Amino acid sequence: MNHKTASLLSALLVCFTSAVSFAGETIKIGALYPMSGRGGLYGQDSEAAIKIALQEVNAKGLPGGRKLDVIVTDDQSKPALAVTLAKRYITEDKVKFLYGVVSSSAALAVTEVSKEYKTIFVGTDHAATDLTANAFQKYYFRVSNNTFQSMAAGAMYLQDMKLGKKIAYIGPDYAYGRDQIAELKYCLGKLGANFEMVGEFWPKLYEADYTSYITAIVRAKPDVLVCGFWGGDTVAFIKQAKAYGLFDKMKYFHPDGGGNYEVFSTLGAECPEGLIMSARHHNNWPETKENADFVQKFKKATGRYPSYAAEGAYVGILVIADAIRKVGNADDTEALVKALEGMKMKFPEDPAGFQSYIDPKTHQIVQAQAIGVTVKNDKFPPAKYMLGNFKVYPADKLMPPQDYIDLLKRTKK
Amino acid sequence: MNHRLETTALWSAYVLLFGGMIFVKNEHAIHIAAQIVILGLFAISFNILFGNTGLLSFGQALFYGLGAYVTGMIAKKFGGDHFLWALLLVPLVAMAVALVLGALSLRLSDVYFTMLTLAFAQLVWGITIKWYDFTSGDDGIQAIPKPEFLAGGLHYYVFAFLVVTVCLYLLWRLHRSPFGTILKGIRQNPTRVNFLGLNVFRHKLLAYVISSCFTAIAGGLYAGLDGSIHPDMFVWTMSGGIILMTILGGMRSFFGPIIGVAVFVLLEDVVGRSTQYWSFFIGAIMIVVVMLFPKGIVGVSRQFAGLFAKKGDPLEHS
Repeated sequence: MNHKTASLLSALLVCFTSAVSFAGETIKIGALYPMSGRGGLYGQDSEAAIKIALQEVNAKGLPGGRKLDVIVTDDQSKPALAVTLAKRYITEDKVKFLYGVVSSSAALAVTEVSKEYKTIFVGTDHAATDLTANAFQKYYFRVSNNTFQSMAAGAMYLQDMKLGKKIAYIGPDYAYGRDQIAELKYCLGKLGANFEMVGEFWPKLYEADYTSYITAIVRAKPDVLVCGFWGGDTVAFIKQAKAYGLFDKMKYFHPDGGGNYEVFSTLGAECPEGLIMSARHHNNWPETKENADFVQKFKKATGRYPSYAAEGAYVGILVIADAIRKVGNADDTEALVKALEGMKMKFPEDPAGFQSYIDPKTHQIVQAQAIGVTVKNDKFPPAKYMLGNFKVYPADKLMPPQDYIDLLKRTKK
Repeated sequence: MNHRLETTALWSAYVLLFGGMIFVKNEHAIHIAAQIVILGLFAISFNILFGNTGLLSFGQALFYGLGAYVTGMIAKKFGGDHFLWALLLVPLVAMAVALVLGALSLRLSDVYFTMLTLAFAQLVWGITIKWYDFTSGDDGIQAIPKPEFLAGGLHYYVFAFLVVTVCLYLLWRLHRSPFGTILKGIRQNPTRVNFLGLNVFRHKLLAYVISSCFTAIAGGLYAGLDGSIHPDMFVWTMSGGIILMTILGGMRSFFGPIIGVAVFVLLEDVVGRSTQYWSFFIGAIMIVVVMLFPKGIVGVSRQFAGLFAKKGDPLEHS
């Protein structure tokens, strides 16, 4: 090797090493989502949305030229597996943030890992109010609505629209289904609403045949049927109830997970008109540039429109990047917690003139809730119906009051 | 390879491998090792019934969950200082429950016994899920406290390893005792055992109670490992998983089941990093093992060792 080549090589080497040190290490985020089975679509949509968010965040740049990177692993919505993976992320992959989780029971287990290892956990899709109430710990933040927020809006809607006094409830027989009706009753009580429960029905999760429940509901003659299903259960129930003419006999009200795009895309032309629903994100509301951009970017990346899980997963990455920019690094966890507590940003699901913010006391994101009615709309194929005629409830009216949090602390372990 | 040599080799491998883990600085590796020893205790105690006595219980998860919930609920209610006595209470509770369930289900044989054990386990799972006020239902129980000296991955691992090793030693003594031989006799020909003047039912019941007792200890240990427990621990897929692991490792060997557990847990960890389809690999391995090597990993090793031995060893021993 002559002098020239040697100096060229060493120059290259210097460039390379300095480039490495300049670019800095990537900041790792460890995400847990179900990637197959019933919740699999939420995991896949979340992963796609994370990729979109990463591109934006890394293009804009982070302090020290560092980049964000997300590892996604299938937690199968199993709490024990989620704990093992979360511990591995922290101790082996050296992630700075835990992320995601669809199942609330898995999230309740992971938040304990976050607390033990003092690692921030940004929850994106699980809805159990407990995480930002009785099971709250300071390293946990949630960037999507909890069931209380949906039910608080739901109670106001029932009051405002005078849908009737007699209420029946059907929901899956586990914590998610039980919490929703307890919260709705609490919120109706707070509003001083005059209502009467004429029946509560508890099919098991993933029930295939709702016939017996449908006939029992029709016999109970409620004015409103409140529904607490999610995903495929909603689709199966609506299809079967339609055949029995249930929707002609009463109002159907599904304020937490009913209005998920997944339901409309699966039902297509079979979706009945006039169902009252909401979801944590709508593809056609608010009609802001931010929302339209997000939905189109997702469509371009995946060839399909997003279910509500996607927006939460997208937003969480922006929130983390914002906190890192404010603090200047990703190593000072306590400063990051402080930065996240003061977070206020404009997201796709924020209506014009409103910005989401994190409640510093409970670490729950505070967002408006829009409840709509199914109307014909084929702008988001394969769905033939989407929600319309939205009624919007202001964000600050939807947070659980202290006496409800105290109640949870007393009654739940 | 003769019996004694194999036994010594396997015991030494167990002690060296899992005992040696205390020098490993990798926290995740220790967590995985803890899972292996705890589930290993579950699988080996299950095999007292399955491999030894020939009783296929599809509901041993009942005792695993029971151990976890007894320990977890007491520690959660009364504080971390009560974790240890809760763990001591576990075998007593499990034995009492096993005595009743065993007396009911062991009257039946073969597939009826299997179905009844499955039914009991699913029943308890259903109660755990529905009884919100008592068990926290589907949410499970989190933040289970434990005593100060057990805090931290390594400390708890050492504790779990010691408890499991003592349990395994007791189970091994039992396995090699005249009682263990009677259990093998029951598997091979219960009528003959009866003709020897021995009460088959009573021996089966005792095996069921002992197996359930150690399974529950494994569950109790698990409650302290992650500090969070869930009704999933009772569900039939948990029992089914242990059956698969036992078959994979080799049900005719004392240590076979824990080898199956190790393969499962490691595959889930290693393959799960790169693909979501790790269960596909488990499935493929299971098919190969069951079709080609029905005696499991230990069986294959014995056959392999047998090729070099002067005389062929029976495949079925310790």
